[in-house]
Amino acid sequence: MLSQPSKFTKTAAQLALVLWALAVLYPLLWTLLSTLKDNSQFLAGRPWALPKSPLHWEHFSYVWRTYHFNDYFLNSVYVTTVSSVLAILLSATTAYVFSRFEFRGRRLMYGVYMAAMMIPMILGLVPLFFLLDDLGLINKLTGLIIVYTAWSLPFGVFVLGGFFRSLPKELEEAAYVDGSGYFRTLFQIMIPMARSGIVSIAIMNALNNWNEYVMGTIFVNDPSKYTLPVGISIMQAEMQYRVEWGPLFAGLLISMVPVVFVYIFFQRRIAEGIIAGAIK
Amino acid sequence: MTHNAQRKLFIFVCLVPAFLFFCLFTIYPIVRGMYISLFDWSGSSEHMTFIGLNNFKALYEDPIVWKAIGNDYFLVVGKVIGIVLLATLFAISVTRLRIRGAAFYRLVFFIPNIISIVVIGVLWRFVYNPSIGFLNAFLSLFSDTPVKTPWLGDTGTALWSILWPSIWAGVGFYFLLLVAAILGIPASLYEAAEIDGASQATQFRRITLPLIWEQVKVSILHIVMTTLNGSFVMVLLMTEGGPDNATQVLGSYLYQMGFKQFHMGAAAALGVVILALSMLTTLVLQLLLRRDPVELS
Repeated sequence: MLSQPSKFTKTAAQLALVLWALAVLYPLLWTLLSTLKDNSQFLAGRPWALPKSPLHWEHFSYVWRTYHFNDYFLNSVYVTTVSSVLAILLSATTAYVFSRFEFRGRRLMYGVYMAAMMIPMILGLVPLFFLLDDLGLINKLTGLIIVYTAWSLPFGVFVLGGFFRSLPKELEEAAYVDGSGYFRTLFQIMIPMARSGIVSIAIMNALNNWNEYVMGTIFVNDPSKYTLPVGISIMQAEMQYRVEWGPLFAGLLISMVPVVFVYIFFQRRIAEGIIAGAIK
Repeated sequence: MTHNAQRKLFIFVCLVPAFLFFCLFTIYPIVRGMYISLFDWSGSSEHMTFIGLNNFKALYEDPIVWKAIGNDYFLVVGKVIGIVLLATLFAISVTRLRIRGAAFYRLVFFIPNIISIVVIGVLWRFVYNPSIGFLNAFLSLFSDTPVKTPWLGDTGTALWSILWPSIWAGVGFYFLLLVAAILGIPASLYEAAEIDGASQATQFRRITLPLIWEQVKVSILHIVMTTLNGSFVMVLLMTEGGPDNATQVLGSYLYQMGFKQFHMGAAAALGVVILALSMLTTLVLQLLLRRDPVELS
């Protein structure tokens, strides 16, 4: 006989779950509905009301062109793609060597990567600004790519290290016996075998970099180089002032749609990647 | 090339360039930040005067710093309680209480974690907006006169109004973490408890909680770290520390000192204070949260 939780407990728990799901989903729905409204509907004092016709679809094209969302979007795509690919390349090679080779200084180097995960990024912001300035990388997308790549390395090294350690050694040994070199073994055998870990890390990095705001806003002050989050934060101040609420919500939606699609598509991997990073 | 030389070359190529790159853009700025905290410096290289610990002394005497520390810990305590309670409750519900729709809740609850903090900040500013916001419109339904509370503009409500979105955005992550932890508990333990006639509450207290304690601890430490190091982003986006420093946290004060007032030395010193506080808090918490480890035989 199984002891069932009481009817009351179950109902209360069910209710709490449903309410929280609503609390999460409703703001997203509200964003979409608000996008299609004009100002008079915003001022009517009923923010939950459905938008009246005519629906203002033109708010999308308005922010896209007038507020240079097309530029922000492309900048974000560029920075996110390049930094995620670079970070994967560097962290996969590093993690592989850490997991399979013994050499002097190994513990120290690994320790440096891990310690950096614990240290608040904000402590380095001021010096990083001046370093990028000295290198001529302020107001450059390259500067952001470099910084994002560097700051995502420890997480990749950590998770992929665990991944490589869990792979059997026999395949590598067979490859070496067959005369395959180290680089070929790594890129043709090991990396393909660690594919699922690599994809998870790549998605995680991409999400983080797509959403990153603080460094983006400090290191880039040229409007043509803004990434989406920076563009939105600048734009929202301007739009509040000019009372363009509908277009502002359209902007929020444009930045959310790609990540929500990526998330729904890769949900399991993202969840696994995040938990792998947090637990150990 | 000999085999040994090939091996060395491989290790070198895979490791050293990435490591130097990493050190230059993360370790060096951090160490340099500690160094700058000992100087009076506005950012231009000519005028960099060594003043020892005077930056720290000035911070110690600055009432805003103490206010900011208080606000930081308000957010830490509020987020730890809110997030851990909700995440545990939800995780127990979809696992032990066998409430249907677990896959759906796992999908939905995590959504705030993938949305940019900027979008979250802007969305919640609209919820709190005094004239067109959702919250006041909703409260007005229950009142004769329209509610016009400036949630983010009032020193009494501003910090609470930042706490809530932070909890909203954080629950999903820890929910997933705890669900995974509970699902990892061997079913045989619960079966044995059933045979002994243990109630759900007893099972929670004697089996679930001790066995997920490690993950609860990790969650608490993680929330503390990310709040002390990162809550300033939400503050910058929603109130910029105002009104009257009511929502100022150390991180937002650092931003203001460094990138608005150009007191780079003081900003760096604040960074060191944040590092010291987060390390100290983590250490104390690890001692406080220590429980006898549970061995599964």
